[in-house]
Amino acid sequence: MSEPVEVRGLAKTFYDENRGEIQAVKAVDFECREGEIFGLLGANGAGKTTTLRMLATILAPTAGSATILGHDVTAEPAAVRRKLGFFSASTALYPRLTARETIEFFARINQYPSDQVLKRVGYLVERFGLASYADARIEKLSTGMKQKVSIARTVAHDPPLLIFDEPTVGLDVLNALEMQEVIKEFRNQGKTIVFSTHIMSEAEKLCDRIAIIHGGRILACDTLEKLRQATGARYLEDIFVHYVKSL
Amino acid sequence: MNWRIVRLLLANELKMLVRDRRTVVVSIVLPVFIMPLMLLGTRFVQERRADSLRRVTYKYSIAGAEAKKARALVEKAREIASQLPEEGDGDRKSDLADFKFEEVRTDDPEGDLKAKKIHFYLEALSGEEADALAHEEARKQQAEEQEGERPDPLRPVRVAGVPLIRIHFQGDQDESNAGRGRVQRLLAGVRRVRSEEILRGRGFPAEPKQIVEVESRSLATPGQVSGSFVGRFLTFFLFMLMLSGGSVVAMDSIAGEKERGSLETLLTTAARRAEIVAAKQLSILAVALGITFIQVANILVYLTFKVIELPKDFVIEIPPAAVLTLLLLYTPVAVLVASVLLMVSAYAKTYKEAQFYFFPVNLVCLVFALASVLPGVSLRSAIAVVPLANVSVAVREVMVGKYDWPMIALTFLVMALTSFGIARASTRMLSKERLITASESDVADLEGGASLFSKHVLRWYALLWAVMFAVAANIPQLATFRRQLLFNEIVIFLGAPALMIWKYRLNWRDALALRGVNPMAWIGVLLSIPSGHLVGIGVFRLANIFVPVSERVLEQFSRSILPGDVPLWQLFFFLSVLPAVCEEIGFRGTLLYGLRRKFRPAALALVVGTVFGLFHVALFRIIPTGFLGVILTAIALLTGSIFPGMVVHAGNNAFGVWAGLQEFPLGRLDWWIYVAAGIVFALSFYIVYRNRTPYPGLRAPRR
Repeated sequence: MSEPVEVRGLAKTFYDENRGEIQAVKAVDFECREGEIFGLLGANGAGKTTTLRMLATILAPTAGSATILGHDVTAEPAAVRRKLGFFSASTALYPRLTARETIEFFARINQYPSDQVLKRVGYLVERFGLASYADARIEKLSTGMKQKVSIARTVAHDPPLLIFDEPTVGLDVLNALEMQEVIKEFRNQGKTIVFSTHIMSEAEKLCDRIAIIHGGRILACDTLEKLRQATGARYLEDIFVHYVKSL
Repeated sequence: MNWRIVRLLLANELKMLVRDRRTVVVSIVLPVFIMPLMLLGTRFVQERRADSLRRVTYKYSIAGAEAKKARALVEKAREIASQLPEEGDGDRKSDLADFKFEEVRTDDPEGDLKAKKIHFYLEALSGEEADALAHEEARKQQAEEQEGERPDPLRPVRVAGVPLIRIHFQGDQDESNAGRGRVQRLLAGVRRVRSEEILRGRGFPAEPKQIVEVESRSLATPGQVSGSFVGRFLTFFLFMLMLSGGSVVAMDSIAGEKERGSLETLLTTAARRAEIVAAKQLSILAVALGITFIQVANILVYLTFKVIELPKDFVIEIPPAAVLTLLLLYTPVAVLVASVLLMVSAYAKTYKEAQFYFFPVNLVCLVFALASVLPGVSLRSAIAVVPLANVSVAVREVMVGKYDWPMIALTFLVMALTSFGIARASTRMLSKERLITASESDVADLEGGASLFSKHVLRWYALLWAVMFAVAANIPQLATFRRQLLFNEIVIFLGAPALMIWKYRLNWRDALALRGVNPMAWIGVLLSIPSGHLVGIGVFRLANIFVPVSERVLEQFSRSILPGDVPLWQLFFFLSVLPAVCEEIGFRGTLLYGLRRKFRPAALALVVGTVFGLFHVALFRIIPTGFLGVILTAIALLTGSIFPGMVVHAGNNAFGVWAGLQEFPLGRLDWWIYVAAGIVFALSFYIVYRNRTPYPGLRAPRR
């Protein structure tokens, strides 16, 4: 039986007219198991976002393959997108739609059964405590409220796989903690989650398995316990430094 | 294509647009109110001005030797003005009838005019004085005619000894100008009455104005005349409305979404790129057509309520066939507008950048839409295959009732294909990763140096082209061929690259491609000189079939570059050695270096060659010099060096000079000679290719 996410030899080369060819991701392999939080841990520029964007079919891989719930990201991008929710710090909302309209729009465009859309919207509005602001335009909401609407729109079509690309970047401590709780809750609902971060404590706290990515390569991929055993280090920070320095 | 998704996206786009108060106000509300305000305001100002000019008592004085006679004429004019019949020709009658003027005696009329104490003054010259003045005028006229100005055969012939009244006024002052106009018309009237009196007094058999009656009769119906006028500007007008209306939503559509980050969100949904593009195009189309409709309806309302008054004989006849034909022709135009605007929006990284691109794009499109005002252009010509220009001309013909169905069908086909192609291109544009990644990888601004130079290089050459053009047109000291050539070669092609190398801290050896060449490649390089020259002439002859150049232009050009009084060595130095060295530094040096990573090799050769051609400003030289530019760039790319290009460039020019001096008819050879030269030329390139040492750092060719 195949895993929800299977990545084999995935690579991405950008061409920049000023710097020439840039190999952002160099033949990475990993898989995510059903119902787990899989963490991609790496410094800025390590290739985390490019990898996740390839999984989300926003970018096309230069080489290798990836399948999401049995669909190839290159051959069936629309089918892949129907089954995943993608959240990143750079994905924004439409400022002139209300919170309710936003959730409804993303549910419908991701082809959630139309007779159940309103019920789903109602549920998400309640779940994220948006009831008092549901009919206010996004442009009028605070950063924390926008964050909640963003999460709600990510799961509007109830996808079995969620991708979170550095979701806590720019958030204050309380909002970051709330985000972590939400991600755990999604795991508890049985969703598979791919999660990228450069914050060691966050990865330690949330991830069932962690892949350490650096310079476009995956240096190690396992549970935190096994990584500790392999390196002899206690803290994830030391484990990370161990792998990066061993290059 | 899932149309349910497209409908959803379209509804979302329109909802957001309608909720953008700023956009709605700027694109719909303001034009609806501004137009009547402008029209009413203009009318109010005009009426106030006419009223104010009518109430003025114009002060004038009379000077000169014949002041007494002039004063008598003015008195006569005053008398005529007071007797003007009631049934006159409108404004002309009333402004002369109300014309009040009062003489002011002064010793310094010019000073008083400048000091605004009087509105104008009459200088009455005696016959002798007028003759002297006329003599001076005639001398000037003769000089102008020698410079190519054609003499006007209807110019009035001056009879010697006739006195002259000159009206001096201040052309920049409204009242002075109006006073001058009225007194001039009155004096002309006096002159006509006086001459008629003299003719009748000497026994002229009839009323002088009845010598010959001139009358004209147009075979066109008033509807056709009005249609011809409207047809000339209809496409331009509608296109302008569609562009301005569509650009409002297009800017926000992708560039705005990119800037806000909502585009990435949209791209992660189940909607396909084609569906996103279709929805965005439909939203632009809907808004463009909506705003056009509102504006046209707006104008019709003003016409109905006489806010805008049309001439009495203005009749618009648009039969159903014309309506359907116009609809057929404008449908692909609307699609084209939407696709072009969407492409521009997708190309721009930010909202501001999109605004920056819209202006030139709109300008270029509008130039095509103005093809209908070109005199003598009919749809049954090459214009039928020029997108947009063909619709413009077709609409003009339809508006006068001319239906050339095969050409209308061709026009529709060309426009439909163009619109389809551009719509496809805009879909491809949305698939480009640049949409998501460009802002992250663009670090040239921070790095400066060679990276920044790559970004700026085309701007530099655009500036140099403008400087070269402006200098040639505005500095008479550089008007001679040799001086202009020296300026271009030394300042533009040698000085500017040196400045670029200094400013961007470039490695001058790399920037100028100063590298050794495989000795075997030189055989091919040398072989390409005569063969390449002949192939270039063949290309020119082929181009001449489509864009014919008159023999006179070619002879003039030949005379200007090969003047008889220049020593032979100078000819070869100025026309062969100097351009080869300087232009290669400018084009295969810094330009090629700056663009080397922007385009793949084949496109690079085409772009550098085209820029090289464009710098040879004369239209008929662009194609052959562009061709030479492509060859020289290809040689630089294959050899990695500037030197072979210099040799080929110098050899090519020297060959041309030699053939010109020998009056060798290179442009009139049999076609088989050009074909044979093409084969030799291909062989020479093969030799260079086999012994290549490629230009370093190029973008990899497409696999």
